[in-house]
Amino acid sequence: MVDVPAGPAPARITDSAWRVRTRRGGELLMSLLKNPTTVAGLVFIVLLLGMAIFAPLIAEPNTPDAYQMPRDWGALAVPPGSPGHILGTTNVGGDVLYGVVWGARTSLRLSVIVVSLTVLIGVTVGSIAGFRGGKVDEILMRIVDVFLSIPELIFALAIAAVLGPSFRNIILALAVVFWVKYARIMRAQIIHVKENEYVDAARVIGDSPLRIYLKDILPNSITPVVVQATLDMGNIVLVGATLSFIGLSEAGIAEWGVLVSEGQSGISAGRWWSSTFPGMMVFLWALGFNLFGDGLRDVLDPKTESTR
Amino acid sequence: MQIRDYILRRLMVLPVLIIGVSIIVFALTRVGGSPIGVYLQTGMTQEEVTELEERFHLDDPLPVQYVYWAGGVLTGELGWSGVAAAPVTDVFLPKLAATMELAISSALVAVVLGVALGTFAGARRNRLPDHLTRVFSISGAAMPLFWFAILLLIVFWVYLGWFPIGRSDPNIYARIDHPTNLYTIDSLLAGDFGAFGDALWHLVLPAATLGYGATAIIARMMRSSLVEELQEDYVDAARAKGLPERLVLRRHARRNALIPTVTVIGLSFGFLLQGSVVAEIIFRWPGLGRWMADSVLRGDQATIMAYVLFTSVLFLVVNLAVDVIYAYLDRRVVLGE
Repeated sequence: MVDVPAGPAPARITDSAWRVRTRRGGELLMSLLKNPTTVAGLVFIVLLLGMAIFAPLIAEPNTPDAYQMPRDWGALAVPPGSPGHILGTTNVGGDVLYGVVWGARTSLRLSVIVVSLTVLIGVTVGSIAGFRGGKVDEILMRIVDVFLSIPELIFALAIAAVLGPSFRNIILALAVVFWVKYARIMRAQIIHVKENEYVDAARVIGDSPLRIYLKDILPNSITPVVVQATLDMGNIVLVGATLSFIGLSEAGIAEWGVLVSEGQSGISAGRWWSSTFPGMMVFLWALGFNLFGDGLRDVLDPKTESTR
Repeated sequence: MQIRDYILRRLMVLPVLIIGVSIIVFALTRVGGSPIGVYLQTGMTQEEVTELEERFHLDDPLPVQYVYWAGGVLTGELGWSGVAAAPVTDVFLPKLAATMELAISSALVAVVLGVALGTFAGARRNRLPDHLTRVFSISGAAMPLFWFAILLLIVFWVYLGWFPIGRSDPNIYARIDHPTNLYTIDSLLAGDFGAFGDALWHLVLPAATLGYGATAIIARMMRSSLVEELQEDYVDAARAKGLPERLVLRRHARRNALIPTVTVIGLSFGFLLQGSVVAEIIFRWPGLGRWMADSVLRGDQATIMAYVLFTSVLFLVVNLAVDVIYAYLDRRVVLGE
């Protein structure tokens, strides 16, 4: 939750407000931890993030670029359990374990960049539409509708294709596709929240629209955005890896989709490992964020809890 | 509001959305630079290039170019596909048939399985079958299709050898006519049950791949709407008059729970369209999705644009149809506006 300073208020009141917030945070955490599937999601996320953060300790970084797969030309397509290659190697001598570990970093980079960009764009557009209303709202929402008319993966595929195959272009393509949901969520929230009496009260005491937005409206409407962002941390890696699998990344980078694609040609010869392990990582990554996001929604939005 | 007004209003928005999509697609054709590149040859003089630009209206301002381009699309001029080595319009229909055969079979499996599974879980809320269904559904949402397909390939094609890949056995393909290009239908029309079996046999793996995700979406929706219905008063009334639980479920709750489930069919359809790209690559299925993937890798712009336009329009129309059906089934949707 964004903690917006409440201005020059007496110290004691700010203090108790802070205490209320931490207590609420504690309650939130407790109800999250009550649900076993949410905890499972959290465990996956922690393990995968740990793998991403400590990648250099688990697999020695390749030089000069750690995001490039190292090639062991003396060990092409060796099975799991071979000396020096616990999970085996790909047809071109890429160590599968290295790809799995550094792929977590690639995925973290991808999802953090895309989620930050899309939340920023979506929240801005949605806020303008919801806050201003009228013609501006009408036009912005029609644009959102058009963007939502094209199936996500196909849209991203077309953009990445036009820009040319590279991991950077995959990031760009996903950013273009994924901001619209946030715009829609944010607009609906703002239209709902700005009807509240405390917003009128703030207006009456002469707060500027920007201050009202930052202090009263944004903190009270951001919750569904947080839930969606959690789910998208998983979805973006899922779609990004699919684009890489199809062939829109540079070959040879440490990315799960690229590795699955590299392993594909060896499958008919019984070399299952180079596709299986990296693909499983994509699954676990998406599963972790889906489970956790789901639990988060149940806790933050109690209306839906009863039937889920 | 009357249902007729609702439908009319939705129908009026449809062309606006289609025009919007076409503008995006047009913009995409221009992001990668001028499309003149396709026609350039080495040793062309500047005059020849200028003449080409005039011929294809590429020297006009962008809005004018858009009008020419949209006019071409409307009259079926979708350009030359480098990948298929033929005009896009010539190869589109047979490939569409291949994709539709796959998507429809997956959808059939998904609707039947999804509704059954969702009912089973919803009627046993918070018991083991419900938890298992939840795991199945959430896994479906998190499952990378390309990985699931490869796992099926490894187990059922490489190790067990139970199912083939591709779309048909070439000898069997040659022995019957293909008027519809839907191989299951063609074989039935020819009265050749061996060919029908072959077509089905080839469908199993790709349809299972696509069907899993769609089943997960439908099961989840069916489950939660059934749980909601079971809390309604009419269910208590039905129980109070002594109706067996099985009939309460089948005649009352399930019927009403199906109504909101209709809304996710549009969603599942979008999923099937997108998933077909990956499933067709892995199972070597000669449909639109694989054509699109090849075109993406080889920069075949005409095909990419035709594919994006087509799938978006199809997606829009299916969703419109779903919303209209839903409005008929549940009048509150319209009245609530």
